[in-house]
Amino acid sequence: MKRSPLDGSEHTNWIYLFPGLLLYAAFVFGPIVAALALSLTSWDGLTVPKWVGLGNYIDLFSDDRFYIALRNNAELMIFYCVLPLGLGIGLAACVWNLKQREQLALRTFLFLPYIMPTAVLGIIWAWLYNPAFGPFNQFLRAVGLGMFALPWLGDFNFVLPAVGIVATWYFFGFCMVIFLTGIQRIDPSLFDAAKVDGASARKTFVWITLPLLMPEIRVVLLLTVIASIKSFDLIFTMTRGGPANATLVPNIYMYQLGFELNRFGAAAAIAIVGALLTFAINFAIHRLVGSKSKGMA
Amino acid sequence: MSRKSNIPAAPLFLRLVLWLLAFVTITPFLLLLLTSIKSKADVLQGAFALPAYPHFENYLDAWNAGHFNIYFWNSIIVVIPVVAASVFLGLLTGFAFAYLSFPLRRSLFAILTLGMMVPAEAFIIPLYYEMRYLGLINTYAAVIVPQIAMSIPFSTIFLASAMQQLPEEILEAAVLDGAGRFYILRKIVVPLMMPAMSTLALFLFIWTWNEFLIPFILVNDDAYRTLPLGMLFFQGRYTVNTPVLTAGAVIVIAPLILTYLVFQRRFIAGLTAGATK
Repeated sequence: MKRSPLDGSEHTNWIYLFPGLLLYAAFVFGPIVAALALSLTSWDGLTVPKWVGLGNYIDLFSDDRFYIALRNNAELMIFYCVLPLGLGIGLAACVWNLKQREQLALRTFLFLPYIMPTAVLGIIWAWLYNPAFGPFNQFLRAVGLGMFALPWLGDFNFVLPAVGIVATWYFFGFCMVIFLTGIQRIDPSLFDAAKVDGASARKTFVWITLPLLMPEIRVVLLLTVIASIKSFDLIFTMTRGGPANATLVPNIYMYQLGFELNRFGAAAAIAIVGALLTFAINFAIHRLVGSKSKGMA
Repeated sequence: MSRKSNIPAAPLFLRLVLWLLAFVTITPFLLLLLTSIKSKADVLQGAFALPAYPHFENYLDAWNAGHFNIYFWNSIIVVIPVVAASVFLGLLTGFAFAYLSFPLRRSLFAILTLGMMVPAEAFIIPLYYEMRYLGLINTYAAVIVPQIAMSIPFSTIFLASAMQQLPEEILEAAVLDGAGRFYILRKIVVPLMMPAMSTLALFLFIWTWNEFLIPFILVNDDAYRTLPLGMLFFQGRYTVNTPVLTAGAVIVIAPLILTYLVFQRRFIAGLTAGATK
């Protein structure tokens, strides 16, 4: 690397680096390393931690509830990642054609959920879904679909999609905005050329827009996959993992084991598995959705 | 923009669908607002019925009985130092990563990005015990200090990449004029970085305002709870009193909506700049 004109001697450079890194090491990196160590122990939060090696991990992988949590998380990815991605691309392709002012207005509305605290959204949606006086069921009854007015968050079969739809609602406008800027980045002469060649709107989308949006698709996938693995606030405020584990995800399970049952070693092991899962998926997305590959959605 | 000329007019049907979708998307917020000005009797008339007259006293109830006066000030007491310190430290660390050489540069950068990928959920247990050991549980510091630390990776990377785009000639000229580095940072880099810094501050404001896990775990005294937390405990007490509950939710999200509407262009520009980098 070329030296910048601002570069100085090594020990004076540390003045700039030190305060931020110190704080980061003390309250983020240190605790991450500690969580790794803690996951190799059995600890109730009071007595001295007992070294159990990989015991917690072995227990975890023979624990039915952990598999339920993982499977629920995988199903939630449809709502966190696939639906917002698909909706976002489709909407971006439509909204892009509109006049600047209309585009801005639609973008403003669709993006709104994304800036809200997910914990509060969970509380709001728990009210919307309320079986007796929630607006959602009232709407269904009003339009003559009363037989579909279910106790959404209490129904073992429908609770996961019900929670998932909130995540889709939260993310799809965000995805659309990222895809919109992606489309605006594409060289307009490509679209002109396609038009001259007589390509239909659909063909232009599939063969030009989609392949050139790969960097944005990758970013959206990364962010939504990470969000799905760390999903805690929304589920905690809506269902706390219930009914009967139907919305149990690893982070909720971690909370239960750690802060409710005082099994901190086992809880840390779940946290570490979650972090490793994030890395693995991150890595896979970088490999699979390179800028050259195409035809993802 | 040049591409405007060759865009086919969007069919009316498509635009109708798009606007319907936008309307459905904001419906939860509209219902929230509507319900927050109803009486308890109005609620029984149906979620979509209008109240006879607006019951603004729900907001007073939420504010006073729901302790929102405490939560609101706590949120402000927490957000201001987190945003200020994060931008300041991000400026220093970003300056180092943008311009300076030091050993283990790549490893340190990797360790920083690790903090961006590992969710707080993964290290909240050791953090809790660290805070307890330091005697900081149930203090403002318990909520403020970890959030500053957690924002350092993003602040550093965001500001470092913005600084790398500054024209080097200006910095070179300043060095030739004999200006010291602190002086250059303060008088040349910071003014040029104002747009990036304000975008960063906006993001940090929203993330900090919305943070749930950190105050949830590290604070269990009502006196230090921030708005999202207050809302959770409020929900426990007021499940039957929907109008006051929704008024509480409106109090939490109103500052966000205001900030978003005022700064929305800057916000979206920053989002996409950060996302595609």
